[in-house]
Amino acid sequence: MANNNTLISVQDLKVYFRTGHECARAVDGISFEVRKEETVCLVGESGCGKTVSALSILGLIPTPPGEIAGGRILFQGKNLLELDEEDMQKIRGNRIAMVFQEPLTSLNPVFTIEDQIGEAISIHKNVGAKELRDRCIKLLKDVGIPSPVQRLKDYPHQLSGGQRQRVMIAMALACDPDLIIADEPTTALDVTVQAQILRLLKSIQKIRSMSVLYITHDLGVVANIADRVYVMYSGIFTEQGNTAQIFHDARHPYTQGLLASLPSRSKRGKRLYSIPGTVPNPAYKPAGCPFHPRCPHAILTCAKEYPEMCDYGQGHLARCPVLLEGGDGYK
Amino acid sequence: MLSFIGRSVVQKIITLFFVSIVSFLIIHIAPGKPSQVDPMNPKFTPEVVERFRKEFHLDKPLHVQYLYFYKDLFTGETVSWKDNQSVLKKIWERFLNSLPLFIVGTIITWTLSFPIGIRSAIFRGQFYDRSATFLSYLLISIPGFFFAYVLIIFVVNQFHVPVIGMETFGIGDGASLPHIFMDRIWHLLLPSVLGATGGIAVLSRYVRSQMLEVEGQDYIRTARAKGLSPEQVHYRHALRNALLPFVTMFGLILPGLIGGSVIIESIFSWPGMGRMAYEAILARDYPVILTVNFVSAILVLAGTFISDLLYLIVDPRIRL
Amino acid sequence: MNIDEKGFNQDFQFEAPMAPKRTRLQEFWLLFRQNRLAILGLFIFILFFCCAIMGLFITSGPDPLFDPAMIRLQEKLRPPLAKPNLDSLRREEIPCLGFYLMGTDDLGRDVFARMLQGAWVSLTVGFVAVGISVLIGIFMGGVAGYFGQHHIRVDHILMTILLISGAGLVMAHSIRFGAVLLCLTLAYIFYSFFTQNRSGEKSVPSWAKVFRKSAVSVDTLIMRIVDIMLCFPSFFLILTVVALLPASIYNIMIVIGLTSWMGTTRFVRAEFLSLREQDFVAAVKTLGASNFRIIFRHMMPNAIAPVLVSATIGIATAILTEAGLSFLGFGVPPPHATWGNILSDGKNFIFDAPWLTFIPGIAILIVVLSFNLFGEGLRDVLNPKLRERH
Ligand SMILES: Nc1ncnc2c1ncn2[C@@H]1O[C@H](COP(=O)(O)OP(=O)(O)OP(=O)(O)O)[C@@H](O)[C@H]1O
Ligand code: SF4
Ligand SMILES: [Mg+2]
Repeated sequence: MANNNTLISVQDLKVYFRTGHECARAVDGISFEVRKEETVCLVGESGCGKTVSALSILGLIPTPPGEIAGGRILFQGKNLLELDEEDMQKIRGNRIAMVFQEPLTSLNPVFTIEDQIGEAISIHKNVGAKELRDRCIKLLKDVGIPSPVQRLKDYPHQLSGGQRQRVMIAMALACDPDLIIADEPTTALDVTVQAQILRLLKSIQKIRSMSVLYITHDLGVVANIADRVYVMYSGIFTEQGNTAQIFHDARHPYTQGLLASLPSRSKRGKRLYSIPGTVPNPAYKPAGCPFHPRCPHAILTCAKEYPEMCDYGQGHLARCPVLLEGGDGYK
Repeated sequence: MLSFIGRSVVQKIITLFFVSIVSFLIIHIAPGKPSQVDPMNPKFTPEVVERFRKEFHLDKPLHVQYLYFYKDLFTGETVSWKDNQSVLKKIWERFLNSLPLFIVGTIITWTLSFPIGIRSAIFRGQFYDRSATFLSYLLISIPGFFFAYVLIIFVVNQFHVPVIGMETFGIGDGASLPHIFMDRIWHLLLPSVLGATGGIAVLSRYVRSQMLEVEGQDYIRTARAKGLSPEQVHYRHALRNALLPFVTMFGLILPGLIGGSVIIESIFSWPGMGRMAYEAILARDYPVILTVNFVSAILVLAGTFISDLLYLIVDPRIRL
Repeated sequence: MNIDEKGFNQDFQFEAPMAPKRTRLQEFWLLFRQNRLAILGLFIFILFFCCAIMGLFITSGPDPLFDPAMIRLQEKLRPPLAKPNLDSLRREEIPCLGFYLMGTDDLGRDVFARMLQGAWVSLTVGFVAVGISVLIGIFMGGVAGYFGQHHIRVDHILMTILLISGAGLVMAHSIRFGAVLLCLTLAYIFYSFFTQNRSGEKSVPSWAKVFRKSAVSVDTLIMRIVDIMLCFPSFFLILTVVALLPASIYNIMIVIGLTSWMGTTRFVRAEFLSLREQDFVAAVKTLGASNFRIIFRHMMPNAIAPVLVSATIGIATAILTEAGLSFLGFGVPPPHATWGNILSDGKNFIFDAPWLTFIPGIAILIVVLSFNLFGEGLRDVLNPKLRERH
């Protein structure tokens, strides 16, 4: 499967959190890949394990309580899970950079913007003070911060939420990484700023020809930017495919539910669908198909047997044997 | 900024005024009259007591006594009832004696607690953290006077050096300078270590929890995601934030000058402030008690004021 | 494929597995059990409690099993586990165990009996002092946090000052002047009640409006009082007051309690302030619950956790303070034993009879340590923010 074009490929990754007497299986065997210059989206409800997947790529799972229970993460042929801390540091920020969910708290309040962006550069690159400053200014300009020279000496609290997220993006871009992981970079921001940040990410990706792993719970955003989509539910992937397949030919009841709950012009005036029930507690997942308590198509077997991925061709897979046309459901 | 300073100074002065009233009332309303300083003492004939009462305005109503007392205090004329010496001068002498104890104790406290607390936080849950935690509970729980005796027995038996008092009696004549110096150090060491133990335990726990609090923040994750080494993350990003509240504690150590040294100073016969206060209480020497109280209230208020100011200066988020 | 096609699961009869339902107490115990030091603390605390209560019974009464005050000068300074010299003792002087479990002191008194008696003192001092300080703290903090934004009018303050000075004067023997002040105050209080009931009918003259101005909010007032109290160096203050008052264990308890409520006040106030803002309180309020009900049914249970923690640690501090006072010779009058004064008496024989120092010292250490460990364990369990970090 992994051809020359693959930048990172995650295989059967499992991340568990042990807290006292419970074991939360936050990520329970996911496999995906991101190719060069591609934008891949991870979609799923809150708490399904998206952030945990992203953090485990960078080796930032807090251990304990976290623990990588299995799998491989191949980045440019190397298994990141086997690297030691020092080699990992050379990859973080340099080859793989991350933009976090909470722009308001993700910048260190006691350092200036210049300190924080400059640090991101100087860890990995050997540059003089003068050039460092120029690069910071250029980065701030690239991410669309007005009057960057004055902003350098500001502290994070002097910036707005959108500006802080731009600074975070500037920090992520600092070393021209191959892959940027953007973990819901727009959730905490208001709608107009969201759109700006999305446009910014898209244009940067084009110009710098990077790969982006975009994490969100908003299918509307996915339609905007994704090349391929992975739908995540309770620590596993339920469906994957390219954007057109997911949006026009969804084969998994969960994806269908997500799409049905999306407001759109054709549905104006009708009541929006909402998936009944809630995401399972990762420490107490249902047996069989984890979606079955909320699934309108569930049959008795769904509560007993773990469903396999069913192939719909051209890379479109869905984890629901019941809806597999022409097939006979569970064997 | 200026308005903040102004407001805060006014507020502190008002508080001080009330403190002066309350302490005056506590002393004068409590049973036992100062004129009965020592009824058994044959020197205190009724005439003497009467003269004494006159001289210190004890025959006047309470509020007049109050005014007299604080007028004397501010003009520096308050005298001790016991030996008629100026109270301020007495306090100043004793203060100079307490100062080395306080300084050494503070230095020990601060230099030990930070490394211990920070390491505990970094290695949380591991052996180092657990033993440091248990040890600090032990130090918090041990009664100071008991610990003092244990240490005295240990030092006296092991090193055969005297430790009571500020210096060995009569060492001034004939001994060489380094000898006197070492003697002083020995006498200083035990009481300051004792004074520091509680401080080390509390402060290192506090440093640890502050550090843990900061290490859980999102910006620490950001720093790690940049590719910083754990050392850089801990000592640059986390520590800078964790230290903020401690800068303000520089102000709060001021009251320690008088505070808990009563027991230690009386065990070691150290002629410092705490012991003077203790003796004054025993002798019902009201001017001394009230003055010590007043001075310590000033220290507390000045301490909080300084720490507020420091916070303004060090935290970039606060701008007035 | 369409969302409208329904499968087997039409009315969602599949149950989602739930996390096992546990009461708060069970959850609490599960977490607490993991903290071995805290369990140890709890165990020692229970042991100490039993010893103290048992000690009270077997060392008091007209003919106690262990008499802590029995003086046997011929048996002084016997080491622990020493057999008594039976010939020189009268029948009632023979220790009931047959030997001196913890030795004897300089007057030949049985240290074990004295320790038992002292345990009760430490226990009551700890609990009563902390009980007083917690009651005051909860009351002040609750008022400041819940009624904080109410204002006190100038006339209230004037009346309070008059009332207090009146009472002070009566106590200070100028009864006539004080009684006049008290009567004046009472008259005004009746007057203001009277006018309040038919408010708005008659406007007060304009000069009197000054008195109706609101001066400070309740919250400010209480927090200023806390500031004032914090200005006193606590041990020094306790020492002063205890020295002035007649020697009695109850005075010590009261004084320690009266000088240590400020921390609780701050906790409770902060907790109440944040709870007030929360939805459930607003919801209960719109349902028409009384203030009393809101405070005691809805807010107190939430605010009580930090109070519990600080109270446990407060007990430890109070025991230490009492021991320190006894050590300096204040507090309980002599024949009665406390751990502090056993140690204080024993310090003169520190090289000949070290057990007189070590037994009470280590006993205080262990008891205080157990309270501290237990308190910190409680804090870890009750503070959800810290939970994940251990
Ligand atoms: N440090 C941790 N300790 C214990 N459990 C954790 C920890 N971090 C995550 N989890 C568990 O992992 C699960 C997935 O969390 P994750 O943060 O990945 O969700 P998410 O998909 O990013 O949700 P959101 O959209 O809200 O960001 C959560 O249900 C949580 O219980
Ligand atoms: S396998 Fe069964 S329960 Fe799971 S999505 Fe398909 S129909 Fe629903
Ligand atoms: Mg997330």
